[in-house]
Amino acid sequence: MESINNISLPALAASLASPDRSEIECEVLRLFEEFRNPLLRYALSFGISVHDAEEVIQEVFLALFLHLQSDKSRKNLRGWLFRVAHNQALRKRTTLQQVQTTSFDWMEAHMQADPSPNPEERLFADQRTQRLVAVLRVLPETDQYCLRLRAEGLRYREIASVLGMSLGAVSISLTRSLGRLLRADRS
Amino acid sequence: MLHENSHPTDQELLLAADGELSARSARVVRTHLSACWHCRARMSELEAAIVDFVRVHRQALDAELPPIGRSRAQLSARLSDLAAKPEANSVRAFFHFASMRYPTAYVCFGLLSASLLLAMLTGQSLRSILSIHAPRVVATTVEDRVEPNPKLTPGATRPVSMQDVCAVPHEEVVVDVPEVLREKILREYGIAEKRENDFEIDFLIAPRLGGTEDPQNLWPEPYASSIWNARVKDDLEERLHEMVCSREVSLKTAQNDISADWIGAYKKYFNTDRPVSINTRVGVNSLDWQSSKQNHFAKLWLSRLKIPKKIGA
Repeated sequence: MESINNISLPALAASLASPDRSEIECEVLRLFEEFRNPLLRYALSFGISVHDAEEVIQEVFLALFLHLQSDKSRKNLRGWLFRVAHNQALRKRTTLQQVQTTSFDWMEAHMQADPSPNPEERLFADQRTQRLVAVLRVLPETDQYCLRLRAEGLRYREIASVLGMSLGAVSISLTRSLGRLLRADRS
Repeated sequence: MLHENSHPTDQELLLAADGELSARSARVVRTHLSACWHCRARMSELEAAIVDFVRVHRQALDAELPPIGRSRAQLSARLSDLAAKPEANSVRAFFHFASMRYPTAYVCFGLLSASLLLAMLTGQSLRSILSIHAPRVVATTVEDRVEPNPKLTPGATRPVSMQDVCAVPHEEVVVDVPEVLREKILREYGIAEKRENDFEIDFLIAPRLGGTEDPQNLWPEPYASSIWNARVKDDLEERLHEMVCSREVSLKTAQNDISADWIGAYKKYFNTDRPVSINTRVGVNSLDWQSSKQNHFAKLWLSRLKIPKKIGA
């Protein structure tokens, strides 16, 4: 994640002031390698299929190419990528008119696949995970977005810009969600 | 033994863990944590909840991610297609067009330049013609920067609900102004590089009152201001925040008053002609002032935590 910050360095930005297209293509592909998985996880969390989520990510990076080609700001490219992915994934979900499910719904179906050495440990871990998933599923959608974006390494400022919220609202949302997880774990 | 209220809230603990507090606030939390097992235990619980969430998040999704190879190849092919299309950037296209083939383009460009020059000579600024956001450099002295230049810093707000404003406790999520923005503000105010350390970039309308991190809401505040300094302004922000949340003053009024003339607003809301803080000292140098600001912060923090006065004194 460090390298995204380096991109915004004025010196580098100046040296890329008018890069040719092959340079931009290389840069986009490099960013794709760095951010494809975090973005794909985020897109999948909108409850769209893997195929659709992959398509969303392709659109995001094509948009990035145009963005860089028109010499637009390279500041906070990570936030930019997640913002575009968020909007595209929402649009995709609306277009497909899918039943709104979240990753935590199909999480339940995958829990059986988690191998643990000891049957008791496994039972305990599964019960705990079930409790957490039950809490996560009923969180307001914005709270889920905040948690996921934070889990992907975004700072509060970036999360605020992706979701169009204030920094204070991001902070409150994260605290509230973690508090709920804590209480679920204790119960 | 500290009163229960003296412990940081969960929100403050999380902000501290996430590195989102200012250096000063983070220091206060660190100091508190080193003294308080109770809060350390709460911090560990919060961290454990984070670990749980990350585990569930990754466990659910990582298994679903196809290998990157095919999608990278697909993107590469699409990028090549896209790059083969005409360039979108019209400005660069113009220069490309001008330099390659058409002498008329030079003529157009020359005419445009000449008309701009003429306009400048006749007193109309380049900025007004092209709507270019040129640096707003103006000459000012330290003393008249006690209040920001209203042309450069009229104040800017974002739409916020009362819940947003009032749910944030006294020491709000700290927004450290990025270095690039700091440079921009200092340049606009015409502050020489060697004097940069004499100023901090402050919000005119504080974020906790709905102010934004916008150049129009930021100005370089001198550390060395003797009477109407940043510490006094902090007091005003705190006062207004309390009044807004207790519905004594509307948020809009608070924003308007503080952006129009914060010193006037201070006099109005504290009903005084001079800062009321007992710690206000006339003629402090910048070093004294910074340490007094830290003391002030500690004082505010402690007062919020409702620690007996002698501890905070």
